[in-house]
Amino acid sequence: MEVKFFAYIREYTNCKETKIAYEETVEKLLLKLSDIYGNQFRSKIFSGNELSKEIIVLVNGRHIVHLDGIKTKLENDDVVSIFPVVAGG
Amino acid sequence: MFGYVGKILRVNLTDKTIKVEPLDEKEAKLYLGARGLGTKMFMNEVDPKVEPLSSENKIIFLTGPLTGTLATSAGRYEVVCKAPLTGTIGASNSGGHFGPELKFAGYDGIIFEGKSEEPVYLYIKDDKVELRDASKFWGKTVYETTDEILKETDENARVACIGPAGEKLVLYAGVMNDKHRAAGRSGLGAVMGFKKLKAVVVKGSGSVEVAEPDKFIEACIKARETLKAHPVTGAGLAAYGTQILVNILNQTGALPTRNWKDGGLFDHAEDISGEALTEKYLVKNKGCFGCNIGCGRITRIPDGKFKSFGEGPEYEAGWSLGADCGVKDLDAVCKANFICNEYGFDPITLGSTIACALELYSKGIITKEDTGMELKFGDPEVVVELAMKTALREGFGNEIAEGSYRLASKYGHPELSMSVKKQEMPAYDGRAIQGIGLEYATSNRGGCHVRGYMISPEVLGLPQKLDPLVTTDKPQWLKIFQDLTATVDSSGICLFTTFAIGLPEISAMIRTGLGWDCSDEEILRIGERVWNLEKIFNLEAGFTKEDDKLPKRLTSEPLPEGPAKGKVSRVPEMLIEYYKIRGWDENGVPTKEKLEELSIE
Repeated sequence: MEVKFFAYIREYTNCKETKIAYEETVEKLLLKLSDIYGNQFRSKIFSGNELSKEIIVLVNGRHIVHLDGIKTKLENDDVVSIFPVVAGG
Repeated sequence: MFGYVGKILRVNLTDKTIKVEPLDEKEAKLYLGARGLGTKMFMNEVDPKVEPLSSENKIIFLTGPLTGTLATSAGRYEVVCKAPLTGTIGASNSGGHFGPELKFAGYDGIIFEGKSEEPVYLYIKDDKVELRDASKFWGKTVYETTDEILKETDENARVACIGPAGEKLVLYAGVMNDKHRAAGRSGLGAVMGFKKLKAVVVKGSGSVEVAEPDKFIEACIKARETLKAHPVTGAGLAAYGTQILVNILNQTGALPTRNWKDGGLFDHAEDISGEALTEKYLVKNKGCFGCNIGCGRITRIPDGKFKSFGEGPEYEAGWSLGADCGVKDLDAVCKANFICNEYGFDPITLGSTIACALELYSKGIITKEDTGMELKFGDPEVVVELAMKTALREGFGNEIAEGSYRLASKYGHPELSMSVKKQEMPAYDGRAIQGIGLEYATSNRGGCHVRGYMISPEVLGLPQKLDPLVTTDKPQWLKIFQDLTATVDSSGICLFTTFAIGLPEISAMIRTGLGWDCSDEEILRIGERVWNLEKIFNLEAGFTKEDDKLPKRLTSEPLPEGPAKGKVSRVPEMLIEYYKIRGWDENGVPTKEKLEELSIE
C-alpha cells in the first residue's frame, strides 16, 4: 500500500511517501507507521487512542471521517495520504 | 465614537477640491465599516447602472472600526467601487499597514469622485491633505512608485498605488499597498487609472481610541492566544503559507487542471506545492499590522532564467499560473506572480485567462496569427511572457487584459471561460467540492472563493468536517460563512483569524472596542445585511438569477478521474434551497420582509 506524507509530517518521516505491507485498517496502518517512524510521529498522529484533531487522513482521496474513521478497512492497492491541518487560503 | 475616528475625506479629482465630512454614525451601526459601510456609502451616491470606467463611478477607501487597534490582525481596509471586470459591486479587502496609517492620520476613509485630466496623487499628513502632481510617477511600477513617492513625502509614510496595469486599464488591475499587498480582484485599480489617481500616501501621528481599554485588551489577548495555539494560525500559515493547499486539493481530486478540462488531478502538483516553495524559494514569512499569524511569503528565485524576488505566491495565484496552465515550473509561477505585484494586477484572473487562451489555441479556435506566439499548456515561458505583455497591454496581452470571458466570447466560445459573472473561479473544483461551487455561483462579486470559504469545513474540517461530495446542508453552511465573512470584512480584522476564532471572540472585541451593547447574533446580522445590500446593488445593475450560474463544464462535464470521478456540480438544485434560506424569492430577489428585518431601505 502506498502512504503519502505532506507538510511537516515529512520532517518526522524524512520522506514524501513510502510503500508498506498490507494493514487491515487505518488504525493498524497508523500504529505500524508509528513503530517505523518513532514517538514524535506517533505523538502528532494520535491524541491518546484517537486520531489527533490536527491530522487529516485520506484513503484514495476520501477523508476517513466519511468512511469508518480509523476503523476504515483498507485494500492492498489503496493510497493513504496523511496531512496536518496547516492552512487555508 | 470609539474605534472610528469619525472623519471621511471627500476628494473631487475634477475640480481638485478636498473636504472633510463626519462619518455617519447611524449607518456605521448598521454596516460597521470597511466592506459593509463602504458599500452603503457607495450606494448612497452612485447609480448601479454607472459605467465602471467613467467619472461618475466613485472609488472609496474605507477602514474598519477595529483597524489600527490591538485587535487580532487589525490591519485591514476595503476599496469599493463598481467593478470594471464584472460590473458588479466591486469590493476588495487588503492588509499591510496602509489602513492603520489612515486611521492614525485621523480619517476612517476617503471618497474619490470625478476624474483628473493629469496624473495626481493624494498626500495626507494628519490634517494636511493635498493633491499633488504625479506625472513623474506615471508609467512607473508599484515598487518604483512607492520608493520614489516616499522620498518626496515622508520616508515613514504608507503608500497605496497602481502600477502600469492600472494606468493601462487592464480590467483586473488592482490597488497595491505597502508594495506587496493588494485590494486585488475585479479591476478596482483600473478605476484609479481611469481617474488618473496614481497613489494615496498617508502619514499619521494619532491613534485609535477604544471604549473600554482594559476589557478590550483582555479580549484581544485572549483571541491572540487562541490564534497562537491553533495549528493553522499558530504554525501552519507561518511555516508554509497558503500554497500548502496544493497537495491536499490534488489528493482530494479537486485541483482544477488545464482550464478545468483535465479533472481535479495535476500530475506535477508536488512541483508547485507549498512544500516545494518552502524548501526551494522561501526566504521568510511576513505579517501585516498587528498580526501574529504571519502568512506572507518573502520569496527569492536565486538563479536561472526566472531569477527574481518578491512576495507570494498565494495558493490561488500559484494555482492559476501553475496547474491551471499545466505548468510545473515553480520558478516561472513565482516570477509571473511577482510581475503581477510589480505591475499591479490580479494573478488569479491572469492565470485563468491565459489557461482559457491555451485551450482556445489547442482547439484551433485561435492561432498564431491571432496571438503572435505559440501557446501550449505546460509552457512556463508562455505564462511569464504573457504576464509581462498583459501588464502593458502589448500584443496578445492586450486581449488577455480583458479577462477570460471577453476573450473567449470574442472568439465565439464564452463557455470556455471558467468564470461566474465574468470573474474567474479560483483553485477548487466545484464538481468535487459542492459547497464551494455554490459560493462561486452566488458570490456578489462573481467567481470568488474567499467570501464563503467552504473549503474550511469541506476539506480542512474546520470547524467541523463536511462531506465535500454531498449537497446536504451546504446552503445553510454557506449562508453562515458568507454572513460571518461579511462581518469580518467590515470590522477591519483579517479573515484568516477565523480559522481559529469565531463570532464570540470577534463580537467581544467589537463590543469592548466600540462600546456597543449588542449580541453576537446582531453582529452576525450585520454581515447578512451587507450581503443583502450587495445583492440589491447587483440586481439594480441588471444581474438576474441567470447569472447565479457556473460554467457548463462544471454542471455537465463529469470529472474524468480521481476520488470525485464522475461528479458534476449540483449548484442548480442547491440554489433553490439557498434562495429560500436567504429569505429571497425564487428569482433570488430579497423579499420586502427580509429587507425590513434587516433595516435596509
